Amino acid sequence: MRMMKVVFLNFKSSFRNYLSLVIALSFTILIFLNFQTILCSEDFGVLSAKKKEYVDMLVQAVSFVLVCFMFFFVWYSTNVFLTKRKREIGVYVFMGLSNEKIGKLYAIETALIGLSALVFGIFFGVLSTGLFQMILLALSEMAVEIRFQFQLKPILNTAGIYLTVYFIFVIKGYVNIVRSSVLNLLSGTKQNEYVRQSRIGLLLKAAAGTGTLGAGFYLAVRESGNSVDVLGNLFAAVVLVVAGVYLLFGGLIPLIFQGLAGNKRFLYGKQRCLWINNVIFRMKKNYRTYAMVCILVLCSVTALATGFAMKYKYENIRHFENMYTFQVLVEEPLPEEKIKGMIEEYTPVAFGSEISMAGFKDGVVKANENYGTYGIVAWSELKKLAEDVGLAFDFAEPKEGQVIRASHLYLLSMITDKSNISVTINGKEYRQVGETNLPYLGYLQDKISFYVVNDEEFRKLAPLGQQLYAYNYRIEDLSAFADVRENLRTFKEKAGDAYMGIVSMDPAQDEMEWIKIMYSLCIFMFMVFILASGCIMFMKLYHDSFEEKERYLVLRKMGISDEALKKSIERELGIAYGLPFVVMGVSSYFSVHALELMMHADLLAINGVSVFTVFVIFLLCYCLSVSVYVRGQGI
Amino acid sequence: MNNVNNKKVVEVKNLIKNYGAKDFETKALKGIDLTVYENDFIAIMGPSGSGKTTLLNILSTIDKPSLGSVILASKDITKISNKELSKLRRDKIGFIFQDYNLLDTMNLEDNIALPLAFGGVFPKECIRKTKELAAMFGLSEHLKKYPYQLSGGQKQRGAACRALITGPEIIFADEPTGALDSKAGRELLECLKRINEEGRATILMVTHDPFSASYARDVYILNDGVIKCRLSKGGERKEFYDRIIDVQTSMGGDFLCE
Repeated sequence: MRMMKVVFLNFKSSFRNYLSLVIALSFTILIFLNFQTILCSEDFGVLSAKKKEYVDMLVQAVSFVLVCFMFFFVWYSTNVFLTKRKREIGVYVFMGLSNEKIGKLYAIETALIGLSALVFGIFFGVLSTGLFQMILLALSEMAVEIRFQFQLKPILNTAGIYLTVYFIFVIKGYVNIVRSSVLNLLSGTKQNEYVRQSRIGLLLKAAAGTGTLGAGFYLAVRESGNSVDVLGNLFAAVVLVVAGVYLLFGGLIPLIFQGLAGNKRFLYGKQRCLWINNVIFRMKKNYRTYAMVCILVLCSVTALATGFAMKYKYENIRHFENMYTFQVLVEEPLPEEKIKGMIEEYTPVAFGSEISMAGFKDGVVKANENYGTYGIVAWSELKKLAEDVGLAFDFAEPKEGQVIRASHLYLLSMITDKSNISVTINGKEYRQVGETNLPYLGYLQDKISFYVVNDEEFRKLAPLGQQLYAYNYRIEDLSAFADVRENLRTFKEKAGDAYMGIVSMDPAQDEMEWIKIMYSLCIFMFMVFILASGCIMFMKLYHDSFEEKERYLVLRKMGISDEALKKSIERELGIAYGLPFVVMGVSSYFSVHALELMMHADLLAINGVSVFTVFVIFLLCYCLSVSVYVRGQGI
Repeated sequence: MNNVNNKKVVEVKNLIKNYGAKDFETKALKGIDLTVYENDFIAIMGPSGSGKTTLLNILSTIDKPSLGSVILASKDITKISNKELSKLRRDKIGFIFQDYNLLDTMNLEDNIALPLAFGGVFPKECIRKTKELAAMFGLSEHLKKYPYQLSGGQKQRGAACRALITGPEIIFADEPTGALDSKAGRELLECLKRINEEGRATILMVTHDPFSASYARDVYILNDGVIKCRLSKGGERKEFYDRIIDVQTSMGGDFLCE
């Protein structure tokens, strides 16, 4: 009972001191709760049912990252708490308390802090779900509209996971105290030693870091015609970049700053003597945090680029599929304007085209990507079709033994190297000299792999395959879709045994709704990562500012002006925010480029925009940190 | 003995410092008059609560007096702006603190050069002066070491170098030997005495230790906020030390136990 009283009094008096920790913990709970609320919403369940395997995969990935994020925050917060309290609770040793009792004191006190963070986190989490929705919608007009409502399940899920993670660390702290010596407890806060790191160690780390990062970048953008290779490269690239960034912050960057500090002519100019030495001092303690923030922001930029690439692809694929409203595929040519006339009974035709082709089954055609069905079309016919429907066509007629591939748009392709591709048709090898994904043949092009050959070649190949004729039309009045479809169905029934395939693209139907979920989740990830990184940096520097208090007091006593000290702080914090930002900026070029290769989308602009967004958020955090830091030193 | 022809470095007139609310005022200093001339080496002694630290804080511009004036480098420090005070502290005053106050984020060389580097002095000059002072204080071999790698005496000599590097008009030393063992304390005092005798520094030192005070040329005994007496060194340090002890004993001597 007396122990509880001591704990409660301690908790009450130290609550304000540890407010930053409580806020950090509440923030992680808030993020997790928001994510859980999205997952548990009815709309999400309906949407995700459509492409369950894809959505589940992404949800699992996001959940994993968020749990890691929570794990780090809890670890960091409890660690700071333990370090700060160790010396204070060490005094209890002199009061005759055993390590076990002190450990209990710590555990109960930490648990109280954790529980208050949970209460705050859940409270503000519930309040902010609406805000998250607004931000999601503001970021994109096509994000899934999810109605947020108060639900118990996400709260229970969040609380369950958080408490599990939190209590692991409380127990870890308890064990740490029980096993600590009195001396260790009393000198808990005195850990500012061993500033300078060995040059050889740093050189080795720097060399390893540069090499690893370079290899990671190379593998990320290395093109390959084999999807297994690409996946392997990507996995290796992620591991190498993460390791490289850690080694860079632990090796190359301290090495550069130690080099700068060694050059006294440079060091003694302006305020460098103070801030460069401070950066070296902090780097050893903080390099893991900087590296982690860098990787987190890199994830955030890549997540946003993925989201936007999906959006582009979604829009393009929709456009591709809706190129023609109706496509009729027959073995015997139909009378001129026959289909068009049937459509025009209900609605005018916006545009249309006809083309003949030779259909082949797998086996006769051997290509890199296995489609099952292949179509060969003549260059001049496709050129005429392009003119009829108003699509660009700027390919020269392929020569003997050459083909042009008319493919569809991929959401994601693991084959990134498009050079030296060849295809075998009826035992003869043709070299692919070009590729287009303009929707000349609309939906058919999505399902059949088309190769364009010169007219002479077509005449030779056509008799070997199934002769087919395609009639493609886009209607003007989409409301007439059902009537036209019915009319064509009747026509097909009347045609009897003759082969006829009809493709009807319902403009109201959207089979790719699931991409919207992926997109929304990517944007959500971007927001979470970026907020988390800003928050981690801010917290770290806020914590550092406490340690600096005495040093700045001495400097002020020595007559160093407040203005000069402020400038020095600005530069030091500028480096703290700037380094992860620059490393992230360079790395993001490679990660987004890898994505570009896989998604066949131009994402450079998105890369620029997301890096700029990170810059703005970092700038805000930087200004806030400088202001808090400067005020903390009484300047 | 003070040379009255010397330049006045600090002139204190009727210095009063009160703490607390009006009805519950504590008078820390009750009208101090003191003049420090160029090349003086003054020790201020006194028991706990006599006002030594308050006096030092005011003279070194860290605190403000309630009444009176302090002229330092021809400026009344009670009437100048904070910005000017910073400049004054940086250019005209050197500090030696009891607990050294070297910055543990940088090595000894950078610690010593810091005030000059912040003063906008050419880096080449910073390097030259740092090396010169380090050699004078026997620290040349330790310049690349960090404070945690130095002994207390080395740290305090480093702090003295830092205080001297800007060529200040006066050095304020607050119990400089308080955290040192007798050998390290003696080494530091010998250094301070030497630079004073070479005409490199005017020193005002606050101490409760008669041994440290005996290195000064003049000792002011402060008690209850006023200067009770002044002792001047006539001959040998040992003889001066005995005189300080005698005066202390005659005054009650309680502050010896501080």
